[in-house]
Amino acid sequence: MAEHLGSAHLENSASAKNYRIVLVADKLDISWHHCGTTSDFLGEYFSRACGAGVDAVDARHSIGYLLNEILENAVKFRETGNIEVICSLENGRFEAGIANVISRETTDSFQKHLNVMLKKDPGELLLERIEANALDPESGGSGLGLLTLMNDYGAELGWQFEDEHVNGHVRLNTIAALALS
Amino acid sequence: MNMEISTNDYRVWVEGAKIHYEGTMRLSGTEAYAPILSLMNDVLASKPETICLDLTGLEFLNSSGINLLAKFTIEVRKQPDIGIEVLGSKTIPWQSKSLKNLQRLHPALELQIN
Repeated sequence: MAEHLGSAHLENSASAKNYRIVLVADKLDISWHHCGTTSDFLGEYFSRACGAGVDAVDARHSIGYLLNEILENAVKFRETGNIEVICSLENGRFEAGIANVISRETTDSFQKHLNVMLKKDPGELLLERIEANALDPESGGSGLGLLTLMNDYGAELGWQFEDEHVNGHVRLNTIAALALS
Repeated sequence: MNMEISTNDYRVWVEGAKIHYEGTMRLSGTEAYAPILSLMNDVLASKPETICLDLTGLEFLNSSGINLLAKFTIEVRKQPDIGIEVLGSKTIPWQSKSLKNLQRLHPALELQIN
């Protein structure tokens, strides 16, 4: 069964500038620093491709921040297997699809979290979350990544969950889009 | 008191009541940021008139790092006799986008992005 949450869809055409990177689990021993190095590289690559009329410094940073936050989540919550990153750029619209495999348990709690998050204003929720984090010294993750992307960067986000029948795991594809200016 | 934390990626150091940040901070979560928060809390515990966070050299900060700054802002907010000033740079995009959230948390915080 596939389920889609959030509003983002991939709209760029087949002729958009694109790049695909696979972080191969077995070969790479995927770890935290891969988030930063991969997002820095793609930020640099696409900022050079965005052409006149777009602020390249802002594009490099925004793409880098967006990919780093989603990759950090992928590395943190992945159950097994590779992380696949597909990016494209067309007419100032940057799109990314980041796919990885998570457990059924992670899927349930993440969907619950998203259903609450998508009903509220991200700016209000961001402040609520910060206040809650400050009261809870035990909270390991900040939960601010997606909220800052929506509120501070105006990113469109979407999540597709697809059951992998063989092993009971779920393939998560996180879709993100940014209008570069 | 530990006055400086330095790695290949970033450096945080204290001069009086001014805390400087430089480089790229993408630590893995609240626990990884704990030593930096502890350095910041030491400055707060010395009860200066105003604490200054100088972020003009901090090129990149992940959302866990934004949480660190927000958490500290809330700590300062609890002590109305201590002021807080945050210095940013217009040339570093995340600062114009995300630092205004600190002011929403603590309206007395003085934010200067130059």
